[in-house]
Amino acid sequence: MQLTLHTLVSTLLMLLSVLQLNGQEKMNYGKTPDEMIPYGRFQKAYINFFDDPQAFTGAGREKVPPTDLNEIRIGYLGPLEGSVMVPQGIQMLQGATLAMEEINERGGYNGIPFKILAHNDVGLWGAAANEVVKMNDEKVWAFIGTIDDVNSHVALRVALKLELPMINTGDPDPTFTETRIPWMIRCIADDRQSSYALVNYIYRKKGHSRVSVMRADNRYGRVGIMEFRDAALRIGYPLFLEVRFADGETGFTTQIERIINSSPDAVVLWGNAKETALILKQMREMGMEQPVYGCDRLMSPVFLEIAGQDAEGVVTTCQYNPTLDHPKLRAFQKNYYKRFEMEPDVFAAHAYDGMNIIIEAIHKAGLNRALIRDLLTDLKTFQGYQGVTGEIIFDASWNDIGAIWMTEVRDGKFEFFPPPPLTSVTSINNKIVSTAD
Amino acid sequence: MNSLNRIFLNGIKVLSITLLSIFLSGFSQNDNIPPGPEKVSQRISEGISSDIKKAAGSMPMYGNWETFTSKDGLPADKAYCVRMDGDRVLVGTSAGLAVYENDEWRTYTVEDGLAHSGVLSIDVSELTGDVWLGTLGGLNRWSAGRFETFTQFNSGLANDVIYSVICDGKDVWVATGGGAGHYDTYSGQWGIYTERNAPMHEPWTYGVCAGDKKVYIAAWGGGVIEYNTETENFRDYLDPDGEMEIDLFPDDGVVHDITTGVSYADGILWVATYFGLSRYDGAHWKGYFDHDSGLLSNFINFLKADGPVVWLCTDLGLSSFDGETWVSYQKNENNKNGKILITNGSETKELAVSTSISHNFVIGVDFQDDEIWLATSKGVCRGERLE
Repeated sequence: MQLTLHTLVSTLLMLLSVLQLNGQEKMNYGKTPDEMIPYGRFQKAYINFFDDPQAFTGAGREKVPPTDLNEIRIGYLGPLEGSVMVPQGIQMLQGATLAMEEINERGGYNGIPFKILAHNDVGLWGAAANEVVKMNDEKVWAFIGTIDDVNSHVALRVALKLELPMINTGDPDPTFTETRIPWMIRCIADDRQSSYALVNYIYRKKGHSRVSVMRADNRYGRVGIMEFRDAALRIGYPLFLEVRFADGETGFTTQIERIINSSPDAVVLWGNAKETALILKQMREMGMEQPVYGCDRLMSPVFLEIAGQDAEGVVTTCQYNPTLDHPKLRAFQKNYYKRFEMEPDVFAAHAYDGMNIIIEAIHKAGLNRALIRDLLTDLKTFQGYQGVTGEIIFDASWNDIGAIWMTEVRDGKFEFFPPPPLTSVTSINNKIVSTAD
Repeated sequence: MNSLNRIFLNGIKVLSITLLSIFLSGFSQNDNIPPGPEKVSQRISEGISSDIKKAAGSMPMYGNWETFTSKDGLPADKAYCVRMDGDRVLVGTSAGLAVYENDEWRTYTVEDGLAHSGVLSIDVSELTGDVWLGTLGGLNRWSAGRFETFTQFNSGLANDVIYSVICDGKDVWVATGGGAGHYDTYSGQWGIYTERNAPMHEPWTYGVCAGDKKVYIAAWGGGVIEYNTETENFRDYLDPDGEMEIDLFPDDGVVHDITTGVSYADGILWVATYFGLSRYDGAHWKGYFDHDSGLLSNFINFLKADGPVVWLCTDLGLSSFDGETWVSYQKNENNKNGKILITNGSETKELAVSTSISHNFVIGVDFQDDEIWLATSKGVCRGERLE
């Protein structure tokens, strides 16, 4: 009953979001609650940068499509070797591949098959930049990528130079879309949305007030926790302690002792599944009984396997709900398992949606990068797109601000539920030059 | 409301002011100019009314634009950069290096030794005359007719995508997708500057300039990094509000931490972003946006300062500014004509002209003597300084 009520409230909020995006009411950037607006209690910003989408005014729309193609190339950029994120990168590639194969079975693009050209984003320093250049040389029409924000940002800047449409399906870094580069969209909810949900849940719903954090000592951990820290502070709860750990680390005694000394009433973990699971186990071994919350990367079979019984009660966010009984989602899960003999993860599902969006844009716009870009970013063609991950809602920075979900480990499984509704998300800080819409 | 709509509305506002200005002054510039570039400079000069001259003040004004595209010999219409070098003009395009000399274009590609056909940045060494080319696939030194290639594999380059290259005496500095780099052409030593040894948040750099024994680096997400070549110390300049989605105060630092270019001249550091322009005189910062100044657009692809004037390549045309007066150049949407906009404070005057820049998406600029060249999304163009 409670779940049904939550679902109803969440659906109503999403409908409200769509109405707001259609111009009936302007919402705060990033669906930020009024109380979490930067400096919102003290000072109105001189300018808000993401109230309006950035236009692309360059040439290119006049280019005539080629007529001698025997395949339509789409790029893929992700971790395929040499990274702890390889399993996720493979899932992402497989999700995109499944979408492409399904389209090819239906005739591809006017009888021409699509083909994915996969590129590893891990290698030489700044490899992502070089790989996007290679994709351009290979004459791809758009590309999907990537997961690690270090690589996403590098790729994004090259995409602008090359005027190559990019759709991100796996990087939750909030700053990725805060760049004004009008050649990318993102179809996965970011850590801003995860942080708002967690902050609301931890402090408001559960009533914690002394929260300490252990986060990965990399850009993912630093930027991810940034939104959480800011949101918590703005509602009156500064973090008690923030300590870091490295990818690949296995002993966390020093960090946990520091956490214990901060006397928290809850702990937030922000990092990859393996390390956070080990941390959780060692926290329990060292006598910590506080509730543990975490980012979406904890929502992984690896986390459950390593943490075992200690995982019970851990609450995380997730960018979609794979347990929903939606025909499109069910078909995707069935076909994915049939094709790859494994369950799809969050990266596979979002890549499936992302590839379908690219392919649909190509079908509608034709073989012209600028026109493909125009459709991807017009905030109409794909606004409210119904993917296997749910409804995709883009804001003016082309960030996916659709619904986020929460999970709790119960009896060794992740049980999904919608986050408690946030408080007001109406605008108090509209841009000073906003005179129309 | 998107940028184009805003420009449209601003255009109506400007047009109203202009019509009133023309009515009051009896100025009817557009009617007097025949189509085509012939003798237009003289006619424009003769036709510029006293109030336009007064509005422009000491700001240089350019006109008589002539456009060059692939039909004229460029290897591609998309030009990333332009560099004037004595009697020749070097243009980096998406399909090679184009050299304009004696009224003819000559193209150099990968087959000639270019590291990559996409040439993003060009500079010329004052010491040696060597041409340095930043490409999408490495760095080239073009010397004595031979292209030498530097990449991650054979040099100390941090990354092969070279967004910016400059020569500062014997030193060559680059901004790459994996960090800033320094090459001492005397010793052959390389230096790499990233978040590991400099106050950068990330290693991604996009612009570099030098002046007064300092090197300034535009760092994506890291604001501006200043490197003192004498003390070898760094300092960084960031937007103090620490937020990506807003600028809390326009004059408290760089307007945004994502910077796209830097240029230093006359003791002034100019910083380009996709969010507006910043000016730093060594003591105070000042921010400029399209809604509160004569800046055509907040989306600034490139900038270059010359004395007190900075030239700003935006996605809606070319702006220039000396700290007081703005002079901007735009091409009309539906014909080859263009306009010059002069803004002082809140007042803007518009001068309609019969030639225009080749495209409003301007990516590069350079100037020498009385000429200015622009690299744009649709060709390059040459303008003449108006008396």
